[in-house]
Amino acid sequence: MSQADGYNFAYLDEQTKRMIRRAILKAVAIPGYQVPFGGREMPLPHGWGTGGMQVTASVIGTDDRLKVIDQGADDTTNAISIRRFFARTAGVETTEKTADATLIQTRHRIPERPLKNGQILIYQVPVPEPLRFIEPRDSETRKMHALREYGAMQVKLYEDVARFGHIATSYDYPVMVNGRYMMCPSPIPKFDNPKMDRMPALQLFGAGFEKRIYAVPPYTEVKSLDFDDHPFEVQQWEGSCEICGSDHSFLDEVITDDAGSKMFVCSDTDYCRERLAEQSAATTEEVAL
Amino acid sequence: MTALTKGLHTVDAGLLIGGFDDPVQQSQQLFRQLLTVTSEPGRIETVTATSQQPDGLNVASWALALSLFDADCTVWLSPSLAAQPSLISNLMFHCQTRLVEHADEADFAFCNAAELNSLQGFSFGSAEYPATSTSLIVQVPGLSGEPCWTLSGPGIETTRSVRVCGLSEPLQAELIDSRHRFPSGIDCFFSCADQLMALPRSTQITITEKEA
Amino acid sequence: MYVAVKGGERAIDNAHALLAERRRGDRKVTELSVAQIQNQLPLAVDRVMTEGSVYDPELAALALKQASGDAVEAIFLLRAYRTTLPRFGYSEPLDTEAMQIERRISGTFKDLPGGQTLGATYDYTHRLLDFKLLAEGEQPTELETDDRPLEPCPRVLELLNKEGLIEPSPKADARPRDITREPVDYPAERAVRLQNLVRGDEGFLLSLSYASMRGYGDSHPFAGEIRSGRVAVELVPEELGFPIVVADIALTECEMVNQFHGSKTEPAQFTRGYGVSFGYNERKAMTVALMERALRAEELGEAVNYPTQDQEFVLSHTDCVSANGFVSHLKLPHYVDFQSELEMIRRLRRETAERDGQTEEAEV
Repeated sequence: MSQADGYNFAYLDEQTKRMIRRAILKAVAIPGYQVPFGGREMPLPHGWGTGGMQVTASVIGTDDRLKVIDQGADDTTNAISIRRFFARTAGVETTEKTADATLIQTRHRIPERPLKNGQILIYQVPVPEPLRFIEPRDSETRKMHALREYGAMQVKLYEDVARFGHIATSYDYPVMVNGRYMMCPSPIPKFDNPKMDRMPALQLFGAGFEKRIYAVPPYTEVKSLDFDDHPFEVQQWEGSCEICGSDHSFLDEVITDDAGSKMFVCSDTDYCRERLAEQSAATTEEVAL
Repeated sequence: MTALTKGLHTVDAGLLIGGFDDPVQQSQQLFRQLLTVTSEPGRIETVTATSQQPDGLNVASWALALSLFDADCTVWLSPSLAAQPSLISNLMFHCQTRLVEHADEADFAFCNAAELNSLQGFSFGSAEYPATSTSLIVQVPGLSGEPCWTLSGPGIETTRSVRVCGLSEPLQAELIDSRHRFPSGIDCFFSCADQLMALPRSTQITITEKEA
Repeated sequence: MYVAVKGGERAIDNAHALLAERRRGDRKVTELSVAQIQNQLPLAVDRVMTEGSVYDPELAALALKQASGDAVEAIFLLRAYRTTLPRFGYSEPLDTEAMQIERRISGTFKDLPGGQTLGATYDYTHRLLDFKLLAEGEQPTELETDDRPLEPCPRVLELLNKEGLIEPSPKADARPRDITREPVDYPAERAVRLQNLVRGDEGFLLSLSYASMRGYGDSHPFAGEIRSGRVAVELVPEELGFPIVVADIALTECEMVNQFHGSKTEPAQFTRGYGVSFGYNERKAMTVALMERALRAEELGEAVNYPTQDQEFVLSHTDCVSANGFVSHLKLPHYVDFQSELEMIRRLRRETAERDGQTEEAEV
């Protein structure tokens, strides 16, 4: 075990962890409700995952295997930086394999491979309040949630329909949790929203500088907002992943030259790698035959 | 024997028992079990914790206290538990917790099932601040997966059967009825010996069989 | 074949090495010591301590050194360190009336008990670059010392209070909430507002208080009193039951006298604004006092017309660590969300084009 000298297991002191743990339990008991908590200053800037990290630090134990992704990828600098932080301060095993991870901290994506019961997905959340850009005041949005007064959001979405013919929100697309609370799914693409619905894994959300924790227990209904005449739909690509050929995963666009040529590749690097490995295994088998 | 005065209650050093051998790791492990039972209502977890418990608390309740309580939270004890000097001394010594006289001021309340006839008096939180409610830890004479209650809601794939022994009929009726107050409400943990189960406010309950 | 950008781990290590190199600068120049920063850049140290919420000049100087002089980065370093410190207890309220005064001025009275003490101030320096400092030689200063014992310095605002001309100091809550341990909830009580302001970004508060004096806020303040000096910090250990001095800190305090208020039934009275900062950061103490008063608009029954009077607007945005974090997080990859937006905007444009095409056809 290689814990950083002078710091507690997983960096946070025990009193802070207990405070966060109590908040997490409340969050799980009230799905979709943003529980205020005494967010601590972390050694990373706000907006860089301090909320997710505080949740991870409070949940993680020596038996865990941690996966950290940013934009779906294990190898982006921020994902590496956070994974290193926990490898250093908690000495836990880390993995890039979605299937092997017990805890997955994520920024902006849900892995393509369906998650299992027993896994915990921890989202980094910059702005936890779905109504924030409709009503900037916390004192007001608190009342709106209390009264389940979500008409303003419907109006906002419908204005899109009137102007563009579609709901123009493409990420951080608001959802209703268990038919009661409107919730920010964090800035994941709306492509990932359907994965949240009745997910067997526990989903925890941490917003560090807004000091809020919220949760969706396993098998909970999570419905993206829509209208009868404009049902919720996800992004589609005409092409497929240039590396693994996937035509059903979220694709990143990569510009390949000055002339604007581009290609598309899976944003979920582990999923792409796994598919590639399967394909090469299949090819080897064919050759062997 | 020395008695340190601390607020209304006293720590009697002669009554102190050991806490967790490894507080950091054991608190985390117990918390993960609490997280599992809260996110999957009706699921029963067996805790491995301490060799000794203060008078009045079972293994699971004591482990929960060691894992979650500290000077930042308030705790209420039902009358028979409040009459246990060992429990008070150990709660104050190991958890530095603030014991309160009135149930509605408590973040957590320990009760023996036999003494719990109503949820009235505990804080349900409010529609604006539902998380300020009291969490109940009810020590019951039996917990099992036999059908008695059928649970459904968040955390439960279809339904889950569970039998929580020792709860009075009016209390069961009140628990079921209190679901209408969501998001206000009371989250319960039921403990029996080393077993632990949770019944958060979001869980719907139907009585399938009256307890014998 | 495209290969995904890899090697993040090495890139991070190299970035850190480069940063250390740039921080050190030209190795022909002697390295700056923490003691030099602490002693010779004391106002920078004071700002870092105040917004970092830790009174430790040496660590604040270390943070400044590590941060290459960037105050916001240094404040962040100190804050992150602060979070890990155990809390032993809460001090007694500071008795600033018993301050060992090094500077004390009042803008409201020409003379007053205790007198005015100018102390060390840039106020009356003519802002001319002193090229002698370039010559790096020590400049001996001739200091005229005054050995007369200090007269007691009662607070200026208390003198007004005796006449009932100013509102009594707003009553303190029994157990002030600690904003570093509990989330802020709006509307926030005074103790919370003050804590927030003292930790707030100096530049942001300076500009806001400036705006409040320029008509964006109904502010007409007088500097009732500004005092700087050393104050004893006392703690009452539970086992002792009486206070012991645990520290002696430099502090600057400002009390503003503001426009009076009153009604047909209540006699007119001046109102107060209070500010404080670690060290000799007078600008900060003044801006805190101005904003403290501006944010009392609602409680004093004044119309809240401007952002400077809106506590949720002001208090949610004072923190330089939060603000810097959120602005700088735009540097993180957002390509998944951006891809979502690209897909959406292309689709909308395609649909518009198709629609226009149809219209044209129809017209033809």
